[in-house]
Amino acid sequence: MELYCLESDKTVRAQPDPNILCDDRVLQSLLTIEERFLPQCSYFQRVQKDIQPYMRRMVAGWMHEVCEEEKSNEDVFPLAINYLDRFLAVMPTRKSYLQLLGAVCMFLASKLKDSRPLSAEKLCMYTDNSIAPRELLDWELVVLGKLKWNMASVIPNDFIEHIIRRLPLPKDKLAMVRKHTLTFIALCATDDRLAMNPPSMIATGSMGAAVCGLQLDHSDQRLSRDNLTDLLAKITNTEVDCLRACQEQIERVLATSLQRGQQYRQESGVRAGNKAREQQDQSSTPTDVRDVNL
Amino acid sequence: MATHKRILGTPRNGPARRSLFGPVDREQLQVEYQTALRKDLEEASRRWGFDFTSDKPLESGGFQWEGVPATEVPLLYRSCVFGLGQKRRRLMEATLTTKRGRMEPPQSEKENIPGTPERCELNLENLEKTPERRESSGAKRKQTNLTDFYQTKRRVVWMPRKSGE
Repeated sequence: MELYCLESDKTVRAQPDPNILCDDRVLQSLLTIEERFLPQCSYFQRVQKDIQPYMRRMVAGWMHEVCEEEKSNEDVFPLAINYLDRFLAVMPTRKSYLQLLGAVCMFLASKLKDSRPLSAEKLCMYTDNSIAPRELLDWELVVLGKLKWNMASVIPNDFIEHIIRRLPLPKDKLAMVRKHTLTFIALCATDDRLAMNPPSMIATGSMGAAVCGLQLDHSDQRLSRDNLTDLLAKITNTEVDCLRACQEQIERVLATSLQRGQQYRQESGVRAGNKAREQQDQSSTPTDVRDVNL
Repeated sequence: MATHKRILGTPRNGPARRSLFGPVDREQLQVEYQTALRKDLEEASRRWGFDFTSDKPLESGGFQWEGVPATEVPLLYRSCVFGLGQKRRRLMEATLTTKRGRMEPPQSEKENIPGTPERCELNLENLEKTPERRESSGAKRKQTNLTDFYQTKRRVVWMPRKSGE
């Protein structure tokens, strides 16, 4: 007799738990504690001497690529960025250690959220071995100490299900709204100007941008821009004006990002074929959110 | 997932494997790591009134420390660590008791411990035994409490309560 192992390599994930997601108390608790996990200050002026905003964008972009390539849980990236910001808000850091720090943050976040966490070796490989696993593990301890071992941060992703079920969205659009919201949240995490906003604000702003971008108000007036903002503000007890400002900021970041993508496409079109890395698909950068098909 | 890649700007400008800010000075890194750890340890010393390097309580501390042999603590707290310094190991082997009524609020401004430990005795020999019924507490038979069977102790959670940092 032969024995076959039929277990697939696919990760098994827990079902969404309605006891958690449909309980109003959970949302209220999240809103109460979320402030605790914000970086203490805007650190570029106050704490860091060597690190500039564009460097954070660089490291955040790299972290996002690694999470994508490793197909990490979608919570890993925003959580890792939360660790990064909190660490940088308390500890002056050299520019040359920033990538190490990013790797450590992903290492920790992945342990919390992935069913198969990223290994230290793999993360070091992604830094092109500019750091060694031993150093990663050493600095893991430093980061944990600076964050006071307080690792279960509230992140924008935690709010998605709580908000989405309170919106009058057509059933067939739910998956799309969810996906776009996640994308916008990740986009917000790469942008330093949005780093000081509470997670609930990022979540509502992102969902607002997603719903508006998909133009769902054509079929339902309750989803028109103003009505939606009012509704979202009510759900998370925020000021309508703050929320509107946040959503607009997200939309600006999105527009810049799309523009940059297009620019890149044109530039690299000219230099086409020079480098192997430029041969990847460049034809599909969308200029409108609705063009994004999944 | 493909959306992420496109909206997030970088139509991938190369493989994710790359060094972002050039080479890292390994020696410098090691030095700063040691410094960071030492600072953490100093802060912990101040906070707990215990010199973790020499393994001795500090005079100034508000806590009364009592040594417990490593063999008597649950397996979980024993060191099975490789590569970690002695300091950490010893940290695990000491147990905290507080002087009753002498508790001072923690020095560190931001860290309020949830539930200041008023009594935190860890008498491990008794842990396994069922405590004797307290006859002295009165003639009337009291209802059995869960705490009759194990020792109450409050855990000191080393974690800030209010702020995240």
